[in-house]
Formats: sequence, structure tokens, C-alpha cells
Amino acid sequence: MSDAQATLVVFAPVPGRVVRMADVPDPVFAASLVGPGAAVDPIRSRHQAVAPVGGRIVKLHPHAFVVVTPDGRGVLVHLGIDTVQLKGEGFTLLAVEGDEVAAGAPVVEWDPAGVEAGGRSPLCPVVALDAAADALRLIADGGEIAVGAGLFTWS
Amino acid sequence: MIDAAAIVAGLGGAENIIEVEPCATRLRTEVRDASLVDEAVLKRAGAIAVMRTGVAVQVIVGPEADTVGSDIEELLE
Repeated sequence: MSDAQATLVVFAPVPGRVVRMADVPDPVFAASLVGPGAAVDPIRSRHQAVAPVGGRIVKLHPHAFVVVTPDGRGVLVHLGIDTVQLKGEGFTLLAVEGDEVAAGAPVVEWDPAGVEAGGRSPLCPVVALDAAADALRLIADGGEIAVGAGLFTWS
Repeated sequence: MIDAAAIVAGLGGAENIIEVEPCATRLRTEVRDASLVDEAVLKRAGAIAVMRTGVAVQVIVGPEADTVGSDIEELLE
């Protein structure tokens, strides 16, 4: 990645409350092993999770997706912790892997309350894949955030 | 790039692997004998980190996990 890349604004994929990555109840995300970022503790009603940046959906699972920007930066959105174990139950795909999407485009509909009722954390890590930790700046720290509002910048 | 064959070796070989389930960024695996798991081999194979809880071994490989997972499943067949 060049030093000259433009600053990218990564938007909240779900509405809720901003949580520091270190506070995510999963050692891989909490230690930023796949990249730094921030998490959102989502509202507990069924809603549409949206693309955090514009680009191509290169990976699409019911519980997680990756959007890569035209300049090659990947952002992972993980809907809840350990939700791969749900095998897609309760998640409805609203896009197709390979789609080009704008930031804010609906990708998956899901129900955090249902995830929580199953004994899992519905927290949503939003990860700047392979980014340097000092490349990120949180826009909103610890407060309420609307879906599509700026979550962090990536420069 | 992640070397699927080397991941299998690092998990103690095909005979030692009970299950490999790819998640968004990691391979969730279950092995028969945890003492045969070699973290150094896994890291040389491209793993970012290894998280172990007894015979449950998570190999963190990044967003290529599902591709690596299918490569490993082919090797195990």
C-alpha cells in the first residue's frame, strides 16, 4: 500500500453503539490479528446490515462479508461472534458475492436479538484488513451511531 | 499465500484432523492429538496466529480462510 493513498471513511454497517475492538469478546478480533478497526454493538431488532465502503463484495457469508474498495482496501464486517455456527439461520442475503456496491447498500438482513437469544454476542467487528494500527482514526468513540454514519477513517 | 498442505502438516497430518470448518478469517479445526500440532509449521504455512483450547485449534489465516478450507478438504479426501 502506498503512503499516498486517499483517506477512506468506513461507515457503520449496522446501527448501535461504538465499542473498541479490544473489548470484543473474541481473542482474534480483540487483538486485531486480521487488522484493526472498531465494533458496533447493534440495536436488538431485525435490520439490514449495509456495505461499510463502496466496492466489490469479494466474500459473502450469511454472518460475515468483505468489501474491497477500487484501490484494493478490504473491510470485513462480522455479524456477531461465533455466528458461523448458526450456518446461516436467521440471516437473509440481500446481495451476491462479486456484486459492486455503493457504501450503504444493503448486504444482509439479520436479527441481533435472535443471535443473543442463542447465547452468542451480537457485536459486529468492522475490520480494516491488513491495515496498520496507526492508519485508523475512530470518528465516533463509545457513543450511539446510526447505520451509514462514519465509524473510522483509514489513511 | 497460504500453503494448505503445510497447514495440514502443522495440524499433525491428515490422520490427526477430525474437522476443518472455515470461518470468515480463520479455520476452526478439531484434532485427535493436540500435541501433534506445530505452531511454527502453521505460521510458516502462512497462519497469522494459532489459538488453542485442547483439541480445538483455530488457525487464523485472514479472509482467504474459505479458499484455504476447501483446499484442505480436497487434501483430506
